[in-house]
Amino acid sequence: MIRAARRALALSTLALAACGIAYAQVYQEPDAFIAEVLGSKPPPKVLWLTKDIQGQAAAILGHPPAQLRQRYWSEGGKSVWILEETGKEELITAGFVVVDGHIDHVRVLVYRESRGQEVRQTSFLKQFKDAKLAQSNRLDRDIDGIVGATLSVGAMERMARLALYFDRLSHDKARE
Amino acid sequence: MSPKLLILLFLRRWHARIGFAAVVFFLILAVTGLILNHGHDLGLDAKYVHAAWLARWYGLAPEPPREAFRSRHHNLIAANGRWLLNGRVSGEKFPQPLGLVELPDMVVVASSAALYIYRKDGALVERLERSALPGTPVQAIGAGTQQLVLRTASGTFESADTLSWRPAPHDAIAWSVPAELSAAERERYAELLEPGVSVQQLLLDLHSGRFAGRYGPLAVDVLAVLLAVLSVSGAWLFLKPRHRRERH
Repeated sequence: MIRAARRALALSTLALAACGIAYAQVYQEPDAFIAEVLGSKPPPKVLWLTKDIQGQAAAILGHPPAQLRQRYWSEGGKSVWILEETGKEELITAGFVVVDGHIDHVRVLVYRESRGQEVRQTSFLKQFKDAKLAQSNRLDRDIDGIVGATLSVGAMERMARLALYFDRLSHDKARE
Repeated sequence: MSPKLLILLFLRRWHARIGFAAVVFFLILAVTGLILNHGHDLGLDAKYVHAAWLARWYGLAPEPPREAFRSRHHNLIAANGRWLLNGRVSGEKFPQPLGLVELPDMVVVASSAALYIYRKDGALVERLERSALPGTPVQAIGAGTQQLVLRTASGTFESADTLSWRPAPHDAIAWSVPAELSAAERERYAELLEPGVSVQQLLLDLHSGRFAGRYGPLAVDVLAVLLAVLSVSGAWLFLKPRHRRERH
């Protein structure tokens, strides 16, 4: 009886872990996205997340940023940010193109959750078009949610805010 | 005594009995359900419970650490998807490391699919995946003269900053190799690297009954039926006397 219980639990644990792997859906490789936006893939630039920046990023994300260095690619007035954020349990990888402090376009590149893929649909993503940062690093507009994908929608919104915030910092850094 | 009164007494008695008998289970269902509903805000999926008895119950056979990667000032021991970097557990669901290299201002750990760049104090600077690497799978990691060197399926590459890579010469590279752990070290590290179960999964299993094994979900099904019976009998007991009063 105990052995059967253990076996059932181990199987359910493995099945849950496998679900996370099995549902990873690559819609576009980040490299291909960068090359599509900028024409080719230039060498990356880096933004170091100092203590202040980490604090602001944590306020945007609702948790401390996972790493201390953020890569980005830029040419002319256009910058590309490949960001990752957890939806419900798994990371969503999305590409953000920022031009003159506005979001030019957004694409979901890799989706690993079992539900909520609707966030990759154009009808949802076009809400971010021309969005910019307002007060307290919030977007200047409300993003309509998707029933059943609330957490993924939240993750996309947080990443959009972070991309705009990082873009502003990258311009400040370039001016210094 | 009228049959209606008999039914009413019967219902009242059994409503109380069922409610009392199942109170603990209903409380478990209510509490776990309530917490799960706010699991994301509470960060439950990122929290793990590490206990030998729980791992045994889940049938997760702990894998004892066997080897360590060591540089002059840093060491890494891995087991059960967990890394112990300089005595500090780095996190969960980590891949098997291939090696560790210490550079003047960073420590780099390689797995076959990614590089993990740490500051000297152990803070993660960046995780580099396929698109930021010169080739995958990574087969070995080493150090040249002030350079990080990777041996991949596409060749051997070196980098000073992990941002740009160039083909590396094949000489004067100190490849990272594992060192065997002593029996005492294995025992000590095994305790620190016990496999864990996420709090979210633990609560889900308690809520669904899967924690009790194959027959757990059936027991929860029975509880659901009992809850339905209690709802109907409770509604009956609430409405019946009222109907009578209304008739008078």
